[in-house]
Amino acid sequence: MKKMLLLVLVFVMIFVTACSNDSDDVSEATVDKDGVVNLKVVFKDEGPSNPVAVKYFSNLEKALKEDKDLNVKFELVEMPQGNYAEKLNLLLMSGEIPDLIYFQGGDQQIANQDLLEDLTPYIEKSEYIKDILLPHNEERLKNYPYLLWVKPLDSKTPVIRKDWFEKAASSDALMADPSIENYHAFFKEVVQNADGGKPAYAVTVAGDIAELDTIFKMAFGLNQTWLEQDGKYINSKVSEQEKAKLTFYSQLYEEGLLDPQYLTKQWDTKEEAFYDGDAAVITGTNGKIIDIYNGKMTQVNGADAEVVVLPPAKGEYQGFIATDITKESRGLAISSQSKSKDTAFAVLDYLASPEGQKLDRLGFEGEHFNVTDSGIELTEKYYNEWYARFWEPEAFELEKPLVTPLLSEPAQNSRELANEFYNPDNSFIIPEEFVSKWDAMENIYKDFSADVITGKRSVSEFDDYVKQWNEAGGNEITEYANETIK
Amino acid sequence: MTQKGIFHRIKKDWVIYLMLFPAILYFVIFNVIPIIGMKLAFQDYRVIGDNIWVGLKHFKVLFSSPAFFDVLQNTIIISTMKIVFFFPIPIVLSLMINELRNGPFRKYVQSVIYLPHFLSWVVIAGVWISLLSPDAGGINVIRNFFQLPTLDYMTSKDHIRWVLVFSEMWRSAGWDSIIYLAAIMKISPSLYEAARIDGASTFQQMRFITFPQLLSTVVVVFILNLGFFLNAGFDQVFNMINDSTISKIDILDTYVYRIGILNGQYAYATAASLFKGVIGVILILSTHFISKRLTGKGVW
Repeated sequence: MKKMLLLVLVFVMIFVTACSNDSDDVSEATVDKDGVVNLKVVFKDEGPSNPVAVKYFSNLEKALKEDKDLNVKFELVEMPQGNYAEKLNLLLMSGEIPDLIYFQGGDQQIANQDLLEDLTPYIEKSEYIKDILLPHNEERLKNYPYLLWVKPLDSKTPVIRKDWFEKAASSDALMADPSIENYHAFFKEVVQNADGGKPAYAVTVAGDIAELDTIFKMAFGLNQTWLEQDGKYINSKVSEQEKAKLTFYSQLYEEGLLDPQYLTKQWDTKEEAFYDGDAAVITGTNGKIIDIYNGKMTQVNGADAEVVVLPPAKGEYQGFIATDITKESRGLAISSQSKSKDTAFAVLDYLASPEGQKLDRLGFEGEHFNVTDSGIELTEKYYNEWYARFWEPEAFELEKPLVTPLLSEPAQNSRELANEFYNPDNSFIIPEEFVSKWDAMENIYKDFSADVITGKRSVSEFDDYVKQWNEAGGNEITEYANETIK
Repeated sequence: MTQKGIFHRIKKDWVIYLMLFPAILYFVIFNVIPIIGMKLAFQDYRVIGDNIWVGLKHFKVLFSSPAFFDVLQNTIIISTMKIVFFFPIPIVLSLMINELRNGPFRKYVQSVIYLPHFLSWVVIAGVWISLLSPDAGGINVIRNFFQLPTLDYMTSKDHIRWVLVFSEMWRSAGWDSIIYLAAIMKISPSLYEAARIDGASTFQQMRFITFPQLLSTVVVVFILNLGFFLNAGFDQVFNMINDSTISKIDILDTYVYRIGILNGQYAYATAASLFKGVIGVILILSTHFISKRLTGKGVW
């Protein structure tokens, strides 16, 4: 029997050894005999099973050949359903590293293993990309040169439907001076004006207070993650300003102005509450998302219900929370193991050129746009379906003028407001040894803030919370912050 | 049995062994190979090149984390609640279904109670959030009818663990009762016949025939369930957690997901899994031997 078991064990070990793969499986030489460079690309939702993605990359291949005499063949990687960052990490950890990789988190571990190319020299030598970088891109690339994502700021902006906005007498005062008091009065009036129970509350957010912070945080003096106080930095979450902010949020909750069920709201139920009229105000990423809100709102509630973008509250400061400039939170990277790094970057650079921009931002001719004598007309399909896969710099020039705008008026307003209030943050990348402590501190904050807002705990317990937060690692990380922030 | 005897038996019943082969292959691929991969808990993973041996580094980080013992405590409490309050339900359910004589009604009941098992936790969380909503949720409507105050179960620190237990019960009790029903089917009808001749009531038949005959299955399932003691239900918690309840239902799996998976620290995640696995094995073995000594019944 023992011999039998031994035999089975040997068989299993042989099988396991045969299955294991410790070889350095990196990109093979990628130029075929016709001189075509094969580029393996992994991109969220842009796999070979997506016909739009296949057509897009096929058009890109043709355009690269035509405009730049670049013979490139894209091989799209199909990603399984689920959390993209998680699945991508598993793909990379298995040793399969595509030439061009779109990250949506999880890139730092890969960069720490020197598997991502430092893009600084490429950008310096680039023909187009260096000229389209936005201020936040430049800062992020200085801190973390592995990810590139030339997109407008992703600040969220608050919106309300126009008919309700105009019905409120306090709306003029709010627009003239968006102080915390005026916002409060506006919220109150919007709910008082409710018709048939709609809106039920002034504002809703998806699960936590991050979206509420985009409106009010700066007004309470929380303009940076680390606030300077008596020559030292303290984390904004344990500051007196935070205490004042939480007190205000709890007041909104108590008065029924903040959705009583905001903690269980997801992004989809939040939007549903907005379209159904339960919530008067929600926040959405400036630009395209506000465009979607505007389109759906007018579709559901008529043309009078187009959305109005509200300004951030004004107090000690004004703005839509400070922008994290430690690194891009998403973006494209080139594998350091790629045999075609220059070609991969040439593709990225081409997409910043006028021809590349037209292809990327307008979609397919005849489908998403039509060229007429008067100019370029965007179709309904463009507004419903198309989005730029790569870069969206502010300046966008075409050989013919756009007859229809890229963004609706509210969406364009939201983008302008986001740009106007750009304010770089002084946060830093949390070192690996502090990650679990940071997680514990975040949980303590979430727990306390939710309890204070919903009235389960009194804000007078703030000092106890600060003590707990500091003991969970706050003291060490604050010390590190004071050494790091210059 | 001698080696020759084993080969002889395999040769004789080769069709049965062939049918067993896919299951063996499944266990080798999904259970044996991952055990070998557990060495990652003692290494720093390198995509290119050899992994770096770091000994107990990841375990030290895990045990020194301020959140670890909180999440471990939550995991143990939730798992214990599930074992105490949920484990008996499928047994009771199977006994009740067994007593249903009406064929179509029995099939209907079985279909209805099996159905939730096939729903994902995303859907179930949505259903339960609506059901327990303070704003026109079914449960609160009933509470209000009886002049009881509205309760926000999903954000209540006092109730959220019970929500996990009851939602798990709703989803899995029916499906888990199948194994007990199968065991009941195996009981010889002659036992019931003899009992009926002796004048035993339905309840007495259940008490003195069905339940004792079911006991060995119950013991085996209980011991095997203990192996998953520290798996308090990632998908369930992940879909039901919110800022207000994070201190009560943040469990080992959600913690490992945040720190290990989302941050790409797979070695750290593996260390936590290994810890869970070792606890599971200890629980299985100790319960098995205690049960053997007390009742004479165990897993083997």
